[in-house]
Amino acid sequence: MTEAAKPVPPKPTPRPAPESIPYWEAAKQHRLEIPRCRACGGWWFPPSRSCPHCMSADVEFKQASGRGKVFSFVMYDRVYHPSFAEEVPYVVALVELDEGPRMISNIVGIPPEDVRCDMPVTVVFDDVAEGVTVPKFKPA
Amino acid sequence: MIETSNDLRDTCAIVGIGNSRLGKVPGVSSLDLVVEAMRNAIDDAGLKVSDIDGILCRGPDEIYSHHQEVGGRLGINAKFSTTVTNGGASQILSVALATMAIKHGLATTVICGYGRDAWSRTHANEEARVRNETRPPSQLPREFGPEYGYYSAAATHAFGATRHMHLYGTTKEHFGHIAVAFREHALRNPQAQMKKPLTMEEYHAQRSIVRPFGLYDCSLRSDAAGAVIVTSRARAKDLKQPPVVIKGFGTHNNTKGWFADDNMVVTAAKQSGERAYAMAGLGPRDVDTAQIYDCFTYMVLTQLEDYGFCKKGEGGDFVASGALRMGGALPTNTSGGQLSEAHAEGVLQLVEGARQMRHAYPAHRQVKDAEIALISGHGGNQVCHSTLILGRA
Repeated sequence: MTEAAKPVPPKPTPRPAPESIPYWEAAKQHRLEIPRCRACGGWWFPPSRSCPHCMSADVEFKQASGRGKVFSFVMYDRVYHPSFAEEVPYVVALVELDEGPRMISNIVGIPPEDVRCDMPVTVVFDDVAEGVTVPKFKPA
Repeated sequence: MIETSNDLRDTCAIVGIGNSRLGKVPGVSSLDLVVEAMRNAIDDAGLKVSDIDGILCRGPDEIYSHHQEVGGRLGINAKFSTTVTNGGASQILSVALATMAIKHGLATTVICGYGRDAWSRTHANEEARVRNETRPPSQLPREFGPEYGYYSAAATHAFGATRHMHLYGTTKEHFGHIAVAFREHALRNPQAQMKKPLTMEEYHAQRSIVRPFGLYDCSLRSDAAGAVIVTSRARAKDLKQPPVVIKGFGTHNNTKGWFADDNMVVTAAKQSGERAYAMAGLGPRDVDTAQIYDCFTYMVLTQLEDYGFCKKGEGGDFVASGALRMGGALPTNTSGGQLSEAHAEGVLQLVEGARQMRHAYPAHRQVKDAEIALISGHGGNQVCHSTLILGRA
């Protein structure tokens, strides 16, 4: 087999922590649901079972607006995992949701060179594999 | 106002300093490298290994019982010993814990050290590197990263660099000044891993890794270890070397996370430094040389701001002024740092800061008339920080 014909391995898919399962289940339905505190109204991410704002255990998953902005980002030229060989250069961003929490994601639908800090973005859902959906963001 | 007790100021001293072979040392485990550095530190101090009654060290992540392994290889029992797991902040934290233990009678003579075999083993090839960088291990969750192609400490720190550039107009050229200055220092250090000069043109032509970082923004992959020995000022008087006095230290950990608040542009060096200055009764203007945790170029720039050597946002101008070079306003990472000497998670910055206080270097390596050295440690998940201020007796 020549180097060029070497099969590209599949991209890693999420292996959720128990407390993140509702997030990934909602993503499959193309909804961005993140933890919110019924006691103080605070939002946070990544998921955990008590509120980091007030330590209440009265928490729920609630649909977020899906709107936010790019807090910061990086652009990969190096291939760290062979499944991303065809993707470089690609952008990994820290998106700050309008609700406050920040999450790692990709910015898609824009040339990587045009991504900027504080740029408004909105969620899109990428059905990456059977039963697996990964939330990403595109320019708003 | 931060209230910091100063009853530890000037109570202890570093009396032994050692490092292992640096760079590419195949066939030697990280444990043997740290023991090699410790043996050199014990010889340097004129002590016998049986004089050591405390061990504080950081080991490779998979060896949680590291201090026990080290004690076994040194052939000693310890009154006070543990493994410290604050990443690159561990080495200075070890010196801080040693000082507290000695002050309160839990031990008399504590050895602190760290070693890694990153060149030979943990980062030896692509497979090992990815395995090392896709923590947590297989039985733990893996989400919010790998599915987006988010890998490497380079990327995590690069988020801070991007944000700093956005807020303050910091440029790649600024990062280049840091890489070029430290390379120049490495050329004065015969043990340094990097032997060739680095020009600004070569810096700009570097291979891109994770923008904004290229190859020369990233610290080295090294087999390397270092160690220091801490004892009381009273005991230090009877030992072989001029004691290097521990004037102050501080720690701060932004445990809410690197991605929380403004932590990626105002690091825990700020509060850690304020505490160390308060304990020492000193400020940034008193510091003659700095040894800053340089896992990536940007981290030097932001820490220089956070330590008050210049204002927030003015780090670019500060490094462009030539301040970091030998003969500059604040000669920094004078052994070449982790960018050009060898990367051992900050222990070599501790070793170099202490050596500068002995005034035993030949003139081209010695920061002239240096009386005070500041050393930083940064690590864990980018949020742990420790600061040490050393002086001459």
